[in-house]
Amino acid sequence: MDKEELKKAIYQLIEQSAGKKKYKQADVIKHFRQQGIPDAETKAAIRELIDAGDLIYTYFGGSYIELGEKRKGA
Amino acid sequence: MTKKYDTPLLDELEKGPFPSFVTEIKKAAAKNPMAADELGQLEKSMRDKVTYWKHGGIVGVRGYGGGVIGRYSQLADEFPGVAHFHTVRVNQPAGLFYTSETIRFICDLWDKYGSGLTNFHGSTGDMVLLGTVTDNLEPLATILSLNGFDLGGSGSAMRTPSCCVGPARCEWSMIDTLDITYDLTQEFQDELHRPQFPYKFKIKTVGCPVDCNASIARADLSIIGTWKGPIEIDQDRVRDYAKKGVNIQEEIVNFCPGKCITWDGNNLAINNSDCLHCMHCITKLAGALKPTPPFGAVILIGAKAPFVIGATLSWVIVPFMELKPPYQELKDMIRNMWDWWNEYGKNRERIGELIIRRGMREFLEVCGLEPTPEMVKEPRNDPFWFWKEEDLEKKPWEEFLK
Ligand code: HEM
Ligand code: HEM
Ligand code: SF4
Ligand code: SF4
Repeated sequence: MDKEELKKAIYQLIEQSAGKKKYKQADVIKHFRQQGIPDAETKAAIRELIDAGDLIYTYFGGSYIELGEKRKGA
Repeated sequence: MTKKYDTPLLDELEKGPFPSFVTEIKKAAAKNPMAADELGQLEKSMRDKVTYWKHGGIVGVRGYGGGVIGRYSQLADEFPGVAHFHTVRVNQPAGLFYTSETIRFICDLWDKYGSGLTNFHGSTGDMVLLGTVTDNLEPLATILSLNGFDLGGSGSAMRTPSCCVGPARCEWSMIDTLDITYDLTQEFQDELHRPQFPYKFKIKTVGCPVDCNASIARADLSIIGTWKGPIEIDQDRVRDYAKKGVNIQEEIVNFCPGKCITWDGNNLAINNSDCLHCMHCITKLAGALKPTPPFGAVILIGAKAPFVIGATLSWVIVPFMELKPPYQELKDMIRNMWDWWNEYGKNRERIGELIIRRGMREFLEVCGLEPTPEMVKEPRNDPFWFWKEEDLEKKPWEEFLK
């Protein structure tokens, strides 16, 4: 999977689980590890998504990755 | 500005002998509507015995996962000044050294962008700036950054590392706590700003076992300066202490946990091989006794301070590590621990709890450490070594049965 595809897949994972399951960064990494993606690649892709504001870190007791404010459609 | 709210309950808190945060908030309230409404809401909270703050929420600085703790009022209509009241953590300089110019800069910044209320320093060590609105967060982070400051840690991240003043002001420091703290902060930027752990991780470094930062109780990873050479004794100065009324037998010899000091009324002797390096004698007879090199640090793991069961002290995992820049051995060890904790840790499980759950033996293997006597916390009770299947073939115990 190239980086853009991976970013799309990560975004979809978070989008589809919104309101149902909260993912920590480590959970996302483990999810894609099962599909054969090296941890470092997932980590780098998450970083780009966060830097772009597509995804954000949220905090409620622990830290999670959720949809960025602008995509949430409030 | 005239007084906005009556605060009879808060006023009570000003009557004691100590400086009061209420007085300080009142001062800030004279010029800042956020601080004024904070007083109003706090008074109402105390009257109703209800907190009117919502916890958390989505607020932060682009690209960062920590540094800002979101806070919103449930009574935004009544107290519009505190509708948002986010806390900003700012990474403090190692050892908490500032110029007055820096303090002025931070205070002016906070008068302009926040409530004017600060907390120097938070339990994590950060400068804590209390109360600002969401729209100010991005500009604040930018201004701080342009002036050489960065946000601190919060959430499931490496928290802002902190240390004692160390060699800058203290004769007892045996490692450069300031440099170690700065170096680790730079090295682990990603882990500081992008929360990727099961829960928080704190690193605190102190120059000696006096432990002015309480690292042994407050850090997941405590780095405590220590020495390996013998304790140097200036007999004349010891006798001076005795002449000035220090009861050497009572206060020094009897208190030595290693039972390794003797005093014949004229000479002090220390059996260094039994010394537990607690610093008691050295601090009590300051100037007369001195630790000697080689200097390095004890590395401990697993403290936390939960409300219900109280503080858990950390546990020795490396009795002596030489700490010289770039501290590679330490950094590699920390990364190994994190990998293991990320793999097996449950949500909100500190590394110390994971060690209890999966065993010290596994943890030591992950860190590549051999068990040593210094690691024993409760003699005869720490089962962190078990023979493996292949060991059983080799019958390693036979060498002890001669
Ligand atoms: C009667 C009222 C209060 C009492 C008795 C009280 C007491 C305490 C105590 C015992 C601590 C722990 C200090 C430590 O680390 O050892 C603490 C921490 C703290 N308090 Fe208060 N407090 C009060 C009100 C407030 C108010 C009104 C504010 C803010 C406007 C405040 C802000 C803080 C903060 C930010 C900390 C964390 C400090 C840290 O990070 O160590 N407190 N308080
Ligand atoms: C229901 C109300 C509140 C709850 C449940 C709450 C809970 C917490 C918790 C769990 C933390 C630790 C976060 C972490 O680092 O893991 C924390 C930190 C903190 N809270 Fe609160 N809090 C409340 C209200 C407030 C209010 C009203 C203020 C300020 C006016 C405040 C200021 C702070 C500050 C400054 C810290 C960080 C202290 C530091 O960095 O050492 N909190 N709070
Ligand atoms: S911990 Fe030791 S070195 Fe650090 S300030 Fe305290 S006495 Fe000095
Ligand atoms: S440092 Fe502590 S254990 Fe060592 S000799 Fe002094 S009092 Fe005894």
